[in-house]
Parts: sequence; structure tokens; C-alpha cells
Amino acid sequence: MTTSTSARVEPAQAGSTPVLAARTRGLRKVYGHTVAVDRVDLDVPEGAVLGMLGPNGSGKTTTIRMLLGLVRPTEGEVELLGKALPDGAAQALPHVGALVEGPGFHPFLSGRENLRRVAAFEPLLATGSIKQAVEDALERVGLAAAAHRRYRGYSLGMKQRLGLAAALLVERKMIVLDEPTNGLDPAGTREVRNVIADLHDAGTTVVVSSHLLSEIEATCTHVAVLHRGTVVAQGGLGDLLQAENSSLLVVTPEHNQALNVLRDARISARPTPEGVRVELIGTTAPAVIEALVTAGIPVHEARRQRTGLEELFARLTEAQEADEGLSAVDTIEEGA
Amino acid sequence: MSAPLVATRAPLGRQLRSELRWIIRRPRTVIGLFGLCLVPILAGIGLWFAVDDGDASGGPGLAAIIGGNGLVLPVFTLFLALPLLLPLVGAIWAADGLAGESQHGTLRGLMIAPIGRMRLLAVKSFGVATMTLFAITLMAFVAVITGAILFGGTGMLTLSGTTLSFGPALARIALTILLVTVQVWGVAAIAMAISACTEHPLVVMAATMAGVIVFAVLGLFEALDWLHPYLITTYWNSLIDVMRDPLPTEALWRSSALAGCYILIGLSLAAMRLATKDN
Repeated sequence: MTTSTSARVEPAQAGSTPVLAARTRGLRKVYGHTVAVDRVDLDVPEGAVLGMLGPNGSGKTTTIRMLLGLVRPTEGEVELLGKALPDGAAQALPHVGALVEGPGFHPFLSGRENLRRVAAFEPLLATGSIKQAVEDALERVGLAAAAHRRYRGYSLGMKQRLGLAAALLVERKMIVLDEPTNGLDPAGTREVRNVIADLHDAGTTVVVSSHLLSEIEATCTHVAVLHRGTVVAQGGLGDLLQAENSSLLVVTPEHNQALNVLRDARISARPTPEGVRVELIGTTAPAVIEALVTAGIPVHEARRQRTGLEELFARLTEAQEADEGLSAVDTIEEGA
Repeated sequence: MSAPLVATRAPLGRQLRSELRWIIRRPRTVIGLFGLCLVPILAGIGLWFAVDDGDASGGPGLAAIIGGNGLVLPVFTLFLALPLLLPLVGAIWAADGLAGESQHGTLRGLMIAPIGRMRLLAVKSFGVATMTLFAITLMAFVAVITGAILFGGTGMLTLSGTTLSFGPALARIALTILLVTVQVWGVAAIAMAISACTEHPLVVMAATMAGVIVFAVLGLFEALDWLHPYLITTYWNSLIDVMRDPLPTEALWRSSALAGCYILIGLSLAAMRLATKDN
């Protein structure tokens, strides 16, 4: 990887690194002859909103399940809230809320009764406060009006909301949401984003997995890109995009003159329909604009070309596909 | 991670209450219990006609015993239900407990809470054990009422020819409930072990019932009599000893001890599977 942000956290430099809410080292999970996840070193900084990005079957859910102690890794170690799993599960997991592999509830119970059952098993909820906690969670996800209806009759979006409500029953240190906006309409998606933003403001660490790039870009501070069962890039969202952000789009009607000026200044550029696109290698945006303006080229507009997560993602996953060394790592359909 | 995290669990009593409420709220539980209540009523009506006709086809001397002996009906009903019906009931609850929860994705929620894997087994076993005891007691209760209405009588005529008065007769019925319940627990514990290995409740029920039937068939072959002491079904017929006076205890102890071994083995296997299971 070229991104420096995915550097390993070595003990020697541990003092300078942020506190991690969760971390995995050398995580590997083999089902029969299928390697679902391999060499996953994931760092989840405390207070971050980490987006796990990857196509279906890239190992997102398997990694999350190992992070929560649901699945035992074949190799490697998991540390959750500073406690090594599986031994530290009883200490760490009460402070972790999760929605994994879609909501799981009993169809013959109402939404409220389902949540009460979940709440009965929450270690941090006092018996007397269960009722109120359930109502608050229902209110928070906008299900209060449908709480008395049987789960059987819920729409996909309502089921998803109930799953979110279960994760929000207790004030958590960390929330893990696996594909939280699956089946939600645009309004529902926006609400989930708001919930994530609220959690972030309250200092809760959030891990959210998605195959939707826009969702990650809109809500996350950090990103981990998974592909074929391994992490191909991770770090702050800004840092990752910055590393890719090496071009400046200059809008000008004088394409050819601009190109000539830039060529004389030894700055690489190519024409676009709007003007020229300048690669910011060995130069800076002010230097480019200064060169153009002093040469009398009319500059209507100059803006950083946002590479965007989509382009970064495509580049990372395509590069990986060409990597023969990973051909042994197979992907499996998650949840199969 | 400013404050050190301490290991916490939800109170056990709350978990057990929640588990029982969950089982009782299931439509199939309600329908199943209702169906079990019908067994003594139907058996009673059938016997009533048999007694009326003077026909003793229900069993040797059965008509003679049951006439004017309503308190025999609960014992008769439980023996009728023990070979197939009650193992099925136990298997259904064991199947729903682990495999069913796994299928609905709700087991994950319990694991993340976290409930703890051994606590999970304890809660689930408690639920199945309590519900089977309740179901069997309910059947016996309905049988006592039905027997009193159809046949009357306040005493119990034993197979030995003596008649027990009302109090000792009720004690014999309670003993029958306990003995039968322990046998069903033995089957349900094995079902629990199967339930821990799959996420298809139907597999658990089918495997358990197939096992019970195969055991019963194996019990028919004299060439296999070395095997018979290890089959839980072997002693089910000898439980009729509760109807003798004085009470012969050897077969009753032996059957209960064997069922105890099944419970121990079943729960140990379930615990072993749960300890390393991926969810």
C-alpha cells in the first residue's frame, strides 16, 4: 500500500498513536477450504466513525463478527475496548451495541416485546429502567407508532430500524452497524446518518460497514477498504482522499495557450472540455495559478479535483484484482 | 477507556423470566399445550365407552380397573404420551431454544449482549425443563378432572389389587409426573445437543424422534439385550410400577438414573459445541 496511514501500530510508537477502541492483528478466518478473511489488521480509533467499505463478499461481515466475538478467528487476535477477545467479552461487550447481518427478531412478538426481550439480557440496564430504555430507543428510530405491531408485518425498513433500536438501548462506548441502511428509503437513510452523527458527537466510536460509497463518504471520519478478505487501505477519510487528490482543474477558454505556458514551466497538464487539468506533482496550486495569470491566461475558476471515494475504491480494488499473490484468497458469500 | 471495564451480566432471574415469557408467548406453545390437554380428555372418553360396553380391549383388565377409578386416568394418560408425544414436545422446545434462535438471527443478539455461552445453555435448559414439567403437570391435572367427571371415585385401585385412598393416590400421580418428566428431560437434553449443532429446528425434531423410534425398535431384539440397559426407552414400560402396592422402586431408580446420564451427556455435548461455535 502506498498510503502511509495504514502503517502498523508498533509498540515502540504506541505513545504517539491515538487510543484504539478496537484493533485486530493478523486476523484470518477459514471456513473449510475457503479463506473468508486473511491478514486483517484493522485499527478503530476511539471516537472515530470508521466506514468499512468493500464489495459483497469482501469479508466485512466476517471481520465484524470476529470483532464482536461471534466468530473465533482461525488465526490472529482481536482487542475490543482494550480487552482481548474472547476472554474479555464479558467486560467489553456490554459497552458495545451492534446490528450484524441484518436485524434478528422473533416474528410473533411485537417490536416493543422484541426489544424488551433484548433489553432483559443487557447487562448495563437496570431492571427498573428497561421499559423507559425501550420506549426511548423506539422513539429514537421513529418506530414508536408501530411498536405494538408484530414484527412479522414490519417492512424491511422498519425491521432495520428495530435492529438499530436494539443497538441503541444502552449508552454505548462503541456501536457496530453492518449495512445499517439496507432496505431504507432516502429519508430513512438520512435518519441513520443523523443517528450516526449524534453518536459521533457524543463521543461514541462507530463502525459502519457498507457497500455504498456515498454513505461512507457522507458519514465517516475514517475508512477501511476491504477487498477479497483483506484490508487494502485504511486511515482518515481526508488523508486517504488527499493522497489521491493530486490534480487541479483550471477553467479557462484558452486551452492551448494554457498548456503551452504550463509546459514551459515544466508542469504536466492535459486538456479537458472546461480547460486544463494539472497534476500537482512537484508543484502547488498557487504556483500553477501564478504561472497562468502572469502569462495573461484568463483563469475563470480553479478547483481541486476531488478524486472521491469512488475513484479511490475502484483503483484499490482493481489493483488488487491484478495481484496474483492474492489469487489464493477466495471470497465467499457472506452469511452463507 | 477512562474507567476500567468490569465484567457484568444481566441478572439471572430476569433472564429466566424473559426466557419463559418468550416460550409461552409463542403461538405453537399455546396450541401445543392445548393439544396436550385434549389427550387425557380423548383417552378418558375412549375408556368411558370401553367401560360402558364391558369391552376390555384397552388393555388386560384396564376397563375393570378404571371403572370407578378416575385417578388411574392421569397415570394412564402419561404412559400413553411418554413413548412419542412427550419426547416430541421436549424436542420442539429444545429445537426452538438454540436452533430456532439461530435461524431467526436472535442468538447473535444474545451473544453480543453478552449472555455468555454457558449462561445461554443454562437459561435455555431451564426454559425447556420448566416447560416440560409444566406441560406434563397440566396433562395430569386435566386427566384428574376428566377422570373424576367420567369415572368418579376417590381412590386408586392398584395393579396389586389394593386400593389407595385419595391422598396416597395423588402422591402416586405426583410421582408419575416426576418420573415421566425426568425421562423427557433425558430426551430433551440430547435434543439440546443437536440443537446446538444446527440452525434448522426441523432437523432437531426429526433427529430426536428418529432416535426415540430406533431405540424402541432396538429394544425389541433379544439378541441385543446387552444394549438394552443403555437405551433410555427400555425402562419406559416398567414405569407402570407406580401402580403397584407396595411400590417396587428398583426399576424406577434405574430408569431415573439412566435418564440422569442422558441429561448429563446431552448438556455436556451441547456445552462443548456452544463453547467453540461460530455465530
